[in-house]
Amino acid sequence: MKKRNRFVYYGKKILTFVVSVFILSAVVFYVSRLAPGDPLVSYYGDRVEKMTPGEREWAKERLGLNDSVTVQYVRWLDHAFRGDFGISWKYKTDVVDVIGGRIGNTLLLGGLGFVFIFVFSLLLGVWCAWHEEGPADRMICNVGTLTSCIPEFWLSLVLILVFSVTLHWLPSSGAYSVGKERDFADRVMHLILPVGIVVLNHLWYYAYMVRNKILEEVRADYVLLARAKGLTKRAVMFRHCLRNVMPSYLSLMAISVPHILGGTYIVETVFSYPGIGTLAYESARYKDYNLLMLLCILSGILVILCNLTAQIINERIDPRIREQEVSERLEVTEP
Amino acid sequence: MRGAFELAGIRPLPEEAPEKAENRYRGRPIFSAVLLTLIVLGCAGCRLIMTKDPTYMDLSHYNTAPNGEFLFGTDAMGRDIFSMIWYGGRLSLFIGTASAAISTVIAVVFGAASGLAPAWLDALLMRVTEILLSVPGLLLIVLLQAILGEADVFRISLVIGVTGWMSIAKVVRTEVRQLRGHEYILAAKCMGGGFFYILRRHLAPNFVSSVMFMVVMNVRSAIVAESTLSFMGIGLPLEVITWGSMLSLAEKALLTGAWWTILIPGLFLAAVLMCITNLGNYLRKNINRKESNL
Amino acid sequence: MSELLEVKNLSVSFFCAGGEVQAVRDVSFSLARGEVLAIVGESGCGKSVLCKSIMKLLPGTAKIKSGSIAAGGADITHYTEREMCKLRGKLFSMVFQDPMTSLNPTISVGAQIAEAVRVHQPEITGERLQERVAELMKLVGIDCPGERMKHYPCQFSGGMRQRAVIAVALAGNPAILFADEPTTALDVTIQAQILDLLRDIQQKLGTATVFVTHDLGVVARVADRVAVMYAGKIVEIGTAAEIFYEPRHPYTWGLMRALPAFSKGRDSLYTIPGMPPTLINPPPGDAFAYRNENALAIDYEKEPPMFRVTDTHYAATWLLDERAPRIAAPVGRCGEHTDGGKSRRRWEDTKNTRMEETASNEILLDVRHLSHVFPLNRKTAVKAVEDVSFQIFRGEIFGLVGESGSGKSTVARCVMNLYRPCEGSIRYKGINTCDAKSFRKNRRMLQSTRQMIFQDSDSSLNQRMRVCDIIAEPMKIQHMTPPRASFREEARFQMHYVGLDARYLDKYPSELSGGQRQRVAIARALAMEPELLVADEPIASLDVSIQAQIVNLFRHLQQEHGFSFLFIAHDLAMVEFLCDRVGVMCRGRLVEVAPTQELFSNPRHAYTKALLSAIPIPDPRREQARRATEFCAERDALDGELTEIGAGHFVLKNGEQ
Repeated sequence: MKKRNRFVYYGKKILTFVVSVFILSAVVFYVSRLAPGDPLVSYYGDRVEKMTPGEREWAKERLGLNDSVTVQYVRWLDHAFRGDFGISWKYKTDVVDVIGGRIGNTLLLGGLGFVFIFVFSLLLGVWCAWHEEGPADRMICNVGTLTSCIPEFWLSLVLILVFSVTLHWLPSSGAYSVGKERDFADRVMHLILPVGIVVLNHLWYYAYMVRNKILEEVRADYVLLARAKGLTKRAVMFRHCLRNVMPSYLSLMAISVPHILGGTYIVETVFSYPGIGTLAYESARYKDYNLLMLLCILSGILVILCNLTAQIINERIDPRIREQEVSERLEVTEP
Repeated sequence: MRGAFELAGIRPLPEEAPEKAENRYRGRPIFSAVLLTLIVLGCAGCRLIMTKDPTYMDLSHYNTAPNGEFLFGTDAMGRDIFSMIWYGGRLSLFIGTASAAISTVIAVVFGAASGLAPAWLDALLMRVTEILLSVPGLLLIVLLQAILGEADVFRISLVIGVTGWMSIAKVVRTEVRQLRGHEYILAAKCMGGGFFYILRRHLAPNFVSSVMFMVVMNVRSAIVAESTLSFMGIGLPLEVITWGSMLSLAEKALLTGAWWTILIPGLFLAAVLMCITNLGNYLRKNINRKESNL
Repeated sequence: MSELLEVKNLSVSFFCAGGEVQAVRDVSFSLARGEVLAIVGESGCGKSVLCKSIMKLLPGTAKIKSGSIAAGGADITHYTEREMCKLRGKLFSMVFQDPMTSLNPTISVGAQIAEAVRVHQPEITGERLQERVAELMKLVGIDCPGERMKHYPCQFSGGMRQRAVIAVALAGNPAILFADEPTTALDVTIQAQILDLLRDIQQKLGTATVFVTHDLGVVARVADRVAVMYAGKIVEIGTAAEIFYEPRHPYTWGLMRALPAFSKGRDSLYTIPGMPPTLINPPPGDAFAYRNENALAIDYEKEPPMFRVTDTHYAATWLLDERAPRIAAPVGRCGEHTDGGKSRRRWEDTKNTRMEETASNEILLDVRHLSHVFPLNRKTAVKAVEDVSFQIFRGEIFGLVGESGSGKSTVARCVMNLYRPCEGSIRYKGINTCDAKSFRKNRRMLQSTRQMIFQDSDSSLNQRMRVCDIIAEPMKIQHMTPPRASFREEARFQMHYVGLDARYLDKYPSELSGGQRQRVAIARALAMEPELLVADEPIASLDVSIQAQIVNLFRHLQQEHGFSFLFIAHDLAMVEFLCDRVGVMCRGRLVEVAPTQELFSNPRHAYTKALLSAIPIPDPRREQARRATEFCAERDALDGELTEIGAGHFVLKNGEQ
């Protein structure tokens, strides 16, 4: 590809990204304001019920809720461009600080989960495909289906019941024991169960996809030619089949990032793990507008970025996509 | 051997021996089907099975371990788990099927539209679907819930249904695209078959089987979504008994060691999900698979 | 051991759900250094299983039941996968049928060839590897190898891909090359080029070749020896001359007579009756007896042994037993007919009278200046059809011939109103069908009197409908009352008419063979008693002997019904027997139109000549001496206007030679 073309290509992607984030922020803003529920609750808590209409009016005025939604949105945008996302009404501090204090924990949990899922699903998928329809493959398939269809929260509960309550091997909640914030081993102990559950819950979905994709590839004609060259089965599997599966695997994994992070939210709740998952639910329920906006935009950015990555992987890495374009053209000439 | 070398001409082929009747039940998820039917029947006819009133809080018998009177024990509020299972299962299954139905309707319309649309519109619609698909489903549900307000059975079915159609839509769209290229569609057009004729006679029967799998899987994920939401306290309130809301008491049960309140509803849930998955996989299986070249 | 490859009493079976499929049964043959052995047979006779079993490339369900394979002086019957890996590519290598799928789409062509070089010569690296790859690419006739080796398979055309596959196969300097139907998926002119290439390579490198094909015509061009396979067995083996000039087995006779070249001048094509048996429970005795007019009583009971004819020629038929009656081979040499020129004259006479009887001067379909463009994106478009004009008279069979991408299918679809042409007009019975208004006004008539048959019977029949429903479908759509009691009766009648047994009424298309499916498609079209039948390559995906059956059926039906027929094909061989007039298309242009006799005896356009010369002649001596003429299309050979140069003979002026 020529340099100019590449510039145009990535330029377009960046433009798409900016526009999508902008639209997303507008949609979330409008939708959240139009929804029923009293936003004052999150700021004043139970005191709201005792307020006189006058006090309410004053409180609304103070929080800027009396202006039209569009005015509010423009004001929010204006502040946001200057890096000011407002304060959380519930925590009464800057939302950036509220999120900043917790996002590390979520990223650690989700990131570790993602890495394990990424590595193990590929290995497991290849292994199962290699032993197709053998007893080991069948057993793994059944166990995999079982783990992936059990709800995450129940799996967490059962594992806590077994490993924490009954065996006392692992801690059942939190990110670290009190007073041991800097203790590495303690952190690891606290992460084992949550990460394990995230991995168990998602692993099979991706491993099964790898397995099926490879089984499809193994049935292609080029495998015969590669073997007729004198390549060993192992070489054909790794140099040809796996290679062909990689682009779709990578793009699937890119899209999976928000899913895996989404999965950590549930685990966070069960383990009372201080991450942003719990924060998101609270902000949505209590109409903590500023917090909700920033969380939505952060997740939105993540979703859009991952989608764009997947798209770029599909379009740039896999020559078959280019071929598809060509074949579609051929189809057109000779339908 | 005289006569053996006479011209005999063409004789008809001997009648082929009838193919060996294969075991009809091989590879079919009989066990899953039977188990699922039993559970569904049990839930539907819960009035006949229940030994106690599931909503009655017997405060003298809270957290009782399974025994002769309370077959599966009682929960922290003294309700009989055995009765709650059947009573709550009814709602759980209803929410699952209702939201799957909603998803399917949206998905078929959206997918068929995308599949039949010109290329640019198709690309646009599919990008929207993909973006929606990559947003964590639970987050979407929570947002929608926040918008719709207090949860009840119908509202929660609607919310789960509205957020779960994307993957089915993709399947429908791919199938329609593929089928559109088939020559028998062209043949039917040549014969003068109209759009609805083709949809009824040719398209629908062909994509039903692959869509069925997605629909069944959707029932599964809807049940999971409902129970997860209820468990986290943002779905149905505690008084509305479903398998999910029964489990929302589980965290407290962890402290008291009342394992039955966690394991029993969960096992039922897992069994149903497993059966549904097996049935779905059976629907998807294609019979004539090529042999591996490796 | 002097032979390079020696297969003795080899039997291979597949064990699948339906039972044991005996794909190869007791096959013995040998291959000498530098020799080309062709294995010929209908599809499903086990010929490619035989090759794959020698290279041990069969899936796990296949087992070598008995027999032995010796290659390069060693017995490899029980070699393990590891040992086979050392032999594959070095001792023997293989070229597969479909070049579109046999290269890995995500790896550049050069890298795939380099990989094949490095498997057995890991010492070749860097610069030298590049040179070797370039050398191989040149050997197989790929120009500018330096640039082309960086390209991906999708940037190669079908013929070029097959050349790349051959380069991969030759990378390890194998002593034996298995070519499994290497030209079946290619266009006729490309097929001729690949055959020439294989022959050149064999002469240059002395590679022994096993050439598998279902087309006897192709064999004459390349083979030194020929083995004919039927139902998993070799029924006759001999030198090419012996097989072509003195065939002994009735199946070889049948195959030979089914070739269009042997029926030249006859009224109809010869066909072998019936269909090959399934190999799950092969019938006792000679499997071919059930299709053999000259079968002896013993054929139904006892398997014939291999009778020796000469030292090189063996055939498995009881006819060679000394007790058997003498039966003269019904085939002479190509072009020599038992009754000399008489039948030809008779055929032309009948044809002429038929023309006078049926073909009137009434123009049924009038296509004028038809152009169709497919937009690719906002900027570019493909001109699929450009300024095509032709007429079809009532009761006439008009053939439209061209290679893939020539736009012939687009023409057919425009005629059937599946595409709306960008320019030009199509008049059917004087009605302009391109005009939406007049189309709507006459919709019912147009849809019931014009019918279409598609190329791929697999995809043109809905897999979920029964045969009887499929045949009755058009009548149901048009709300016709069936003339014969019920739709089912009507379907039964039509099936009988196209030569299908009534027991298939309740079967699904996937349970039928390709030829039977195509008959169902024909029955469906005929159920409407059409006046115009459009057939888009109806025989392209069938075996040669089945092709002949279908062509005969068309001919017969056309005589009975008298419908007009637009017949589209990609090669000229069958067209000659069916069509009254032929049009040749090349890259969207109609380059030549003429009555069939005239076109074949006096082709004027360079492209027509190239097409004609690409038809293989089933005569080894003549065929091996000639090369196909290539048509290097400069654009202006396809420009200009159709001009009449003889009675009804039109040609594009610029391309005339």
